[in-house]
Amino acid sequence: MEQPASRSRASSSPRRSDVTLVAVVAALVLARDSRPAQAPPSPPPTIVITGGFDRFALPDCVPRKGDEASREVCRTVTQVLRADLQFENLFKFVPPSLISAIPAMDPEVPNFTDWKGIGASVLVVTRAQVTAGEATVELRVHSVETGQSMLAKRYSGRADNPRVFAHQASDDLMTLANYRGVARTKIAFVSDRDALPGRKTKEIYVMDYDGYNPRRVTVNRSLNILPNWSPDGRSLAYVSYRRGNPDIFVASIYEGKSTDLTGDKGGGAFAPSFSPDGKRVAYASSRAGNMDIWVANVDGSSPRRLTSTGALDTAPTWSPTGQEIAFTSDRSGTPQIYVMDTEGLNVRRLTTVGNWNDAPSWNPSKQFSEVAYTARLEGNVFDIAVVDIATRQVRQLTQGRGSCEYPSWAPSGRHLTFACGRGGKWQIAVADRLGQTITMLPAGPGKNEQPDWGP
Amino acid sequence: MNRRLTHAWLVLAVAASLAAGCGGKKRPPAVSTAPPSSGEPAGSLPTEVPPAGEPGPDVRTLGAEAARGEDFTPSDAETGEGGPLADIHFEYDSPNLTDQARSVLEKHALWLQNHRGAKVLVEGHCDERGTVEYNLALGEKRARAARDYLASLGVASDRLRTTSYGKERPLDAGNNEAAWAANRRAHFAVSR
Repeated sequence: MEQPASRSRASSSPRRSDVTLVAVVAALVLARDSRPAQAPPSPPPTIVITGGFDRFALPDCVPRKGDEASREVCRTVTQVLRADLQFENLFKFVPPSLISAIPAMDPEVPNFTDWKGIGASVLVVTRAQVTAGEATVELRVHSVETGQSMLAKRYSGRADNPRVFAHQASDDLMTLANYRGVARTKIAFVSDRDALPGRKTKEIYVMDYDGYNPRRVTVNRSLNILPNWSPDGRSLAYVSYRRGNPDIFVASIYEGKSTDLTGDKGGGAFAPSFSPDGKRVAYASSRAGNMDIWVANVDGSSPRRLTSTGALDTAPTWSPTGQEIAFTSDRSGTPQIYVMDTEGLNVRRLTTVGNWNDAPSWNPSKQFSEVAYTARLEGNVFDIAVVDIATRQVRQLTQGRGSCEYPSWAPSGRHLTFACGRGGKWQIAVADRLGQTITMLPAGPGKNEQPDWGP
Repeated sequence: MNRRLTHAWLVLAVAASLAAGCGGKKRPPAVSTAPPSSGEPAGSLPTEVPPAGEPGPDVRTLGAEAARGEDFTPSDAETGEGGPLADIHFEYDSPNLTDQARSVLEKHALWLQNHRGAKVLVEGHCDERGTVEYNLALGEKRARAARDYLASLGVASDRLRTTSYGKERPLDAGNNEAAWAANRRAHFAVSR
């Protein structure tokens, strides 16, 4: 049911007490299931901590003595790991003031009595050292109660971006709790930051989920918009005007290839959306004379039109099962969200509140049967809303940030991203699925919009 | 196909590595994991480092982009402004031609009668209100409305193409009625 998305860390939500940490001594093999496991596969000595009392202590990362480079890496690891885990909004933390009140820890042999004394139940120890530009970061997770090791990992790599070690550690901790972490996920977005003066060009970029490390993907100095990640995170579908007419391309970002999905067949093609199995792409096209929803294979073969009313149909998004597609249509007179099966049949209207509901994004987690979308709720301003598919109940996530639009879920379905702004000033935000904490990302210069949260 | 080759350099390039962003040509730290106190070799996490090989024929890498970075010269006029034919304007959230728009289009039809070699790309544009996707569809409707009216006035349909920029290329980046009114338009990019 409800995920523990409560912002208040002092109160314990009912679901949070279900968070089960499966401790496997020095385990590297972690449960693959996304549900809290009752028992791990078959490892030797295991302990299971349950109950609502899990409190994480994250003391500062311990650098190698007298080494500035190690200290530098440690500072980043400490800061980023804390931010990552807080963003996940799953655990409670021992306040830093309490941690600084106990004697400095020997990372080899933590004094668990001290940690128990300040209310910690899980101790997360990180250490770092840098040798010749190569950083090694160690993560050890202990049960304070028993002193046993729950997880021990070592990460190594170049020292110039230590954030990646912290992201990896955060995701490993999430895996330990049988959740899918977001720390290493990427968000694709559109920006005009590299447009030459007087040229209204936009390119596709990719950044870390926390807004760091933006990288440009397209370099054609045309208009490139509406990016959509493939489920495996290796490709981006997007719309480009590089031939003068909007067409959909699929960029294999690690292989350095791009394919032309819709071809130069006239009419525009917009709003690509990968199916959950990554084999097909739904999109909107006016090729047949009217804006309709189409589905093609990922190589562009077998394009098929699913809608054929005279209305404007656009913005398709797949259900997690891949058996249904939600989309926007103005067939009722105003833009509303509809759902149909992948044959284009069994069309039914999903949104009933408000006279402008558009840009749906189906929560990819089967646990949450809901669709986020852009709604005009007051005046000319748009906000992000989420509709529960079963109850049709709507919750409004944003308010008073100018307009917010273009929602896109994280792969875990526990968070989402969207863009907020007005006029030429748009920035990208991330939020938990209940909208309790909304963070504007440090996305850099220019108008930054149309985020798509990928693996 | 030819077209694709000619435009090879336009096509997207690839972030040299997305795994662990460290800007520019640098490669990210490859991350490996291993149990600290066991003698096992380093475990294998997926290291998302792209092959270092040459970019494909129509792909450039991020590094190459920094070195070159040509400007995009579209094969068709698509500047969104200027040209011999004035823009027409629309009401909010409407693809319908106003009386004023019709009279402008009638002049355009006349001009096109006198310039037989000219072809027109009709671009539909929208103001910033509403979503990206909806406005792209609305812009398409506006362009088609203008095209259909020109065709009804005798302009051969093979001289008329349409496209939509939605709200992606506003003339005026302002957040007010005047800017919105200026941005709700069909633009006529003429090629001869």
